[in-house]
Amino acid sequence: MKPSWLRDVLHGGLTLLAAFVVHAALRWITVPFLIALDVYAVAVILFALVKGEIAGAVMGTACGLVIDSFSLGVFGLAGMAGTVTGYLTGTISRKINVLSPGRMLVFSGLMGLLDFSLWALLTSVFFGRGFPWGGGMALLRPVATALSVTLLYAGYRKIKARRDG
Amino acid sequence: MPRFLKAHRGGIVLAALLIGQLTVLSIQVPLGDEPSYFEKAVFFVLAPLEHAFHGLFEAAGRLWSRYVYLRTVEGQNQQMRDELFHLRQENLLLRNEIGRLKDVRELEGFLAGVHSSFVVASVIGVDAANVYRSIVIDRGSRDGLKANMAVIDRAGNLIGRIVNPVAAREATIQLITDDNCAVNVRSSESRVLGQLTGDAKNGRCLLRYILATEERLAEGEELITTGYDRIFPPGLKAGRVTSIAKDNSLFRKIEVKPYLDFRDLGRVAVLTAPTGGRP
Repeated sequence: MKPSWLRDVLHGGLTLLAAFVVHAALRWITVPFLIALDVYAVAVILFALVKGEIAGAVMGTACGLVIDSFSLGVFGLAGMAGTVTGYLTGTISRKINVLSPGRMLVFSGLMGLLDFSLWALLTSVFFGRGFPWGGGMALLRPVATALSVTLLYAGYRKIKARRDG
Repeated sequence: MPRFLKAHRGGIVLAALLIGQLTVLSIQVPLGDEPSYFEKAVFFVLAPLEHAFHGLFEAAGRLWSRYVYLRTVEGQNQQMRDELFHLRQENLLLRNEIGRLKDVRELEGFLAGVHSSFVVASVIGVDAANVYRSIVIDRGSRDGLKANMAVIDRAGNLIGRIVNPVAAREATIQLITDDNCAVNVRSSESRVLGQLTGDAKNGRCLLRYILATEERLAEGEELITTGYDRIFPPGLKAGRVTSIAKDNSLFRKIEVKPYLDFRDLGRVAVLTAPTGGRP
């Protein structure tokens, strides 16, 4: 039996890898998808919902490192936004009931909006750079994040319920 | 104390992570645009992974287009045959023209130089934070790539330049739509000189430092590199002027639609020969 922290690290690594692969696949299909859907935000929110605030914050940092290493932006910005988003998602989801699909949709949409706003704020306020709106496609980001998280979380719960008998 | 740590574990981890990232941010300040060792290390570790996934997707795509989806192949073949015929004729004419100007040995040297002066690469990744800022290609220092080499698309239009970090098999390209990219250009008809900079926020470019009193430049004009910046070679097409506006400042606000097209950015060519200078 593996210790729980080791299992969490393994799950975190697999989630990050999955986000990385989906991001690469989306680029291969069409680049505008990448503006509308932030797969790393989906990974952070989902991981925080499943594993809690500490795991969410660590996942936010890891995803931020990956985003920034493949970007000409300032290294550390995406990580800061992801860390706060992961932490808050984990904390708030433990305090309010977000299990029903409707609530989950609203909650994950708000968390997606928080991640998006934090990053835009850090980028534009501290470093004087504008946010890439991509002709308005970026506005779809919280909606796309909410839908993806809701669907994936529902799938996760279904699999977990079946496994637990 | 341990009880305090246990009670505030989440907050402590959050603070530690944020402090760590602030430290990474502050380390970069004296480095300017040069990536830190940490950033380079993460890139060097992850780039081969992205390379591998790109290869996997390419293989799947090839499987689909070569063996399953063959509906448009015949038409494409005919179109390519026609294009090849025209290109052969054009090549023959050009060889004759050049041959008239140079002797055979000089010509052979020139043609060999043309072949070895660029490296063809596949795009394996785009900027995860802003797609209009940079891309990653599957060629690196092993193929002779270095920072500041110009990069063109399959139609010969300028798309950007190589920037650090350059890994052994992967390199990052700063696109002309990046805010920090500046290219010296001249308009094709009125021959007005200016600096083309990126506007990554909107995925376009801006032509800067054109005085408000300048009346010659018109909408629709093509912008071509001058080579004065000693990075980009002269004669490369960069984009087309889409709007010219006047405001209260000294300069005009000129928007440019770059020729760089993400839908057709699978393959690019890096110009490895020393370029720049006067045209």
